[in-house]
Order: sequence, then C-alpha cells, then structure tokens
Amino acid sequence: MRDPRFPLEIVDGLRLEKQLRDTLMPGRIVFDDEGHRRRLPRYFYEIPTWEHAMAIQLSPNFALWEFIQTDVREAAPLREFPRYVPCAITMTALCLERFREAADTYVHIAANGGYRSPRHSLNGNATPHSWGTAVNIYRIGDVYLDNREAIERYGALARHTLPSAWARPYGTDRGQTDDHLHIDFGFVLAMPRGAPDDHLGFDAERRVS
Amino acid sequence: MPAPTTHRTIFTPPPRPEALDALHLRFDALERSSGARAIAVAVYDTETEVSFRRHAERWFHAASTIKVAILLGVYASIHHGWLVPHSRLHVRNRFRSAVDGHPFRVAADRDANSAVHDAVGKMMRVSDLALHMIATSSNLPTNLLLDLVGLDTVQRALDEFRIDGIDIRRGVEDERAFERNINNRVTADGLVQLLRLIAEERSYSPDLSRQMLDLLHAQEFRNGIPARLPAAVRVAHKTGEISTIAHDAGVVYPPDRKPYVVAILTEWSPDASARKATIAEASRAIYEVLTAENANA
Repeated sequence: MRDPRFPLEIVDGLRLEKQLRDTLMPGRIVFDDEGHRRRLPRYFYEIPTWEHAMAIQLSPNFALWEFIQTDVREAAPLREFPRYVPCAITMTALCLERFREAADTYVHIAANGGYRSPRHSLNGNATPHSWGTAVNIYRIGDVYLDNREAIERYGALARHTLPSAWARPYGTDRGQTDDHLHIDFGFVLAMPRGAPDDHLGFDAERRVS
Repeated sequence: MPAPTTHRTIFTPPPRPEALDALHLRFDALERSSGARAIAVAVYDTETEVSFRRHAERWFHAASTIKVAILLGVYASIHHGWLVPHSRLHVRNRFRSAVDGHPFRVAADRDANSAVHDAVGKMMRVSDLALHMIATSSNLPTNLLLDLVGLDTVQRALDEFRIDGIDIRRGVEDERAFERNINNRVTADGLVQLLRLIAEERSYSPDLSRQMLDLLHAQEFRNGIPARLPAAVRVAHKTGEISTIAHDAGVVYPPDRKPYVVAILTEWSPDASARKATIAEASRAIYEVLTAENANA
C-alpha cells in the first residue's frame, strides 16, 4: 500500500515471509533494561533497493540511507534488499531535522546507529533502535562526539530542542556512552494511515507475542 | 603478488651440515655484537625440507606478529561462512580491556596510518581492514577484526591446525593488560608453523591461503627480512615492534626456487638501536646459506 506522496510501500510485518518475520519480530513483546514489556513495531516501510534509500529524503537534510547503515552484525536477511524500517523512522528524521537546525551544522549518524533489527548482535535488551526511534551520532559539524564535553553539550541541546528526547549520559557504564551521542524518543509505534488493515485481529497479535 | 607457480626442475642442494653449524656461530656473534638480549630464529626451506632452529621455542612478546594469527581467525570466519571479504564493519574506536572490561581506545597518533581512524563512525570492508592490519600494521583495524571474530575463533583456528607457539590473549594497545603482563606471545617455531600453513596453501583452501599471502606480500615495512636480500627476492611478511621487541617473520621467494619460511625474533633493552639492521643481517645470513649462492661457496 503506497501513499502517493511517499514512494515506499507500507507492509504488515506479520505478512512477510518467515525468515523476515523471525528477524523483524513484528508485534512481538520484548523486555527493556528495566524489565518493562515493549511491543515491537508491526508496520514497516519496504525499501526495494539501495538506490531508493539514497534517493528518498525523509527530511530536508536526512536521507533514508543514513538510518539503515548496518554492518555485518545485522541479521543476514536485513543485509540485503528489500530492507524494512519501522514507520516511525519518518518522525525520527523530523526530530533530527529540528535538532540539526538547533546545532546549525551537519549531523552524522553512525553506522549501526539508526535502525537495528531486534536480531542485530549489538542489541541486548529491547532498544529503541529496533523501533527506528533512536540514533547514535558520532560527529556534529567538525566535532567528534568522543569526549565528555561534546557529548554533554549536544545531549543538553537535544533535550532542550526536543522535549520528549532522551540522551544517554556520558560515562563508561551500562546505559552510558563515551564515544557517541545517543538520542531516542522512546518505544514509539507508528501506524500511518496507509497501513494495511489489522486483518489478523487481536487474537493474532496475542499469538505472535 | 601471488607466489610463482613454476620452479626450475634442478633443485637446490641442501646446505651442508657445517654450513648450518656456521650459521649458529654467526648468530651467536650477531647476538653479541648487536647487544640484543636474545635472538631466536626458525627456518623451514620448502625446497630442500631443511630446518634451522635457534632458540626457536623461546617465548617472546608477540608485538604485531600476532596479527598473522588474527588474519587466520578472520579467514576461518570467512571459510565457515560467517563473513565474506566484502562484509562491512562499523569502524568504532572503543574496545574493552582483557583485564576487567574497562574501555580503551587506540591512539591515532600512535597508529601506523590514519586511514582507518578517518573512517570512525562509518563502515569499511573486512578485506580493507585486513589489508591495513597487515600492510601498515595498523592497530585500529586489528582490534576491530579481533572484536568481530573473537579470541576464541582465532585460538580455535590455531588449534585446528595444531599450531603451538602462538598464544593470543588480547587485542593490541590494551595498556591495562600489558601492565598486568597479559600479553600475546609467540615463538619462532609457532610463527613458522603458521606461515608454512599459509605458504603451502593448507589454510582452509588454496584460494583463501593465497588471499592471506597477498596481504602479507603487501607489507610496507621493508627494513627487516627483505632489506639486505637481492631485489629480485620477494618477501611476504609481518613485522612486530614494541619498546623491547623487534620481530619479522615471513615467506621468502628467491628467484627460480621454492620459498623458505623464516621467523626472526629479537629482544632488546628499551634504548637499543640497530634492531632492524640486526634482523636484516640475520635474514641475509639465512639467505646465503639456503640459496645456491651458498652451495657454490
């Protein structure tokens, strides 16, 4: 199902083939670091080719490819096209656009720093990266975010600019970061108007969880 | 550049026993004159099947020669289908100490080249990282590749081929581990076993072996084993150097004969000079004994 203003088709993850369902885990319940149950996204944009990812602008300064750069640690089905990203990715891009305006310079998303499937081997517990609502930024303009001063300065800017954003504190312990800025908007589920009907119903959602 | 596939049919005669005895004496003298704390040598000549060993079972800090073992681990992963050479890897300068998991980084100003440091935040291909690890001995790609494949994979690969004399315990630039004497170690015998495996195309497959050999042929530090050999002699090798250590180990291809495999490991006081010159002289001595040049002497 395709919105004429946006060139990517929205797919129901539950209708994808098994290999992809096992990777994307659509609608499944997983647990975050605090032990809270979190439901994974069910609806995804299907990206047919890398050329599409390069061409599609999610916002004036952020293209789709920047959110899907994952390395060999990503599950194999998501290292080839078509690729899938949760529909919330468009809202993440808009938030980043606002952040970029405030920073007044380029914002660079790190590899493995945009969407990561729940099967990405860097993931431990549920991470908003698997909702498409988190980004790891390693560089802003000419500033590398690999030290306390830079991480805290831009973390504060993110919190000030984006009231709902959470930025990991500087540090080397679990939940902290010392070589990039992690910003996320929580476990947001997005269901665009063009999303297919929930034809499997409530029972099916319970079944997959 | 790959190894030549044809050789002359008249084989080099093996060195006479007295020539090998003389080589031992020459190394004794070299150790004294150079001021080295220790010089260990292992040689295996694939043409004559002659071996030469001097303190070949003595353990040394591996320095960057451990990168050959890591290369074997990377190709083990390729062989098992966990990676392909063009797999892409996130370049991130953050590693955990083997001591306690404390994070550490590879200092850019102490690394051999800046190419991989310039890619922090981006991705690079495994094959390119392997090239930087070997050809310029860059430490950042070394730790990235070791992090990716894991110590266990490297050790299992060494065990699978029954290579003893190589003990891998951590990545490079792990100062906390160094302070606690948790170090990678090698013997001259161990490095020769590993390099023979690659040179004789017995590591997983001839094709994968040749790929590893190509990387060793790309070595840019040429002031050890190759330095005093004739220009026509090609050498696929890996150097290693820290404050008290200078090593070089490789496969030497004299023209018109099969190659020989050599490891020259040396230990020094921190203020010693002439390390590379000593390795070059040792390499020259071995070359003279093993080649026809010596047979005609």
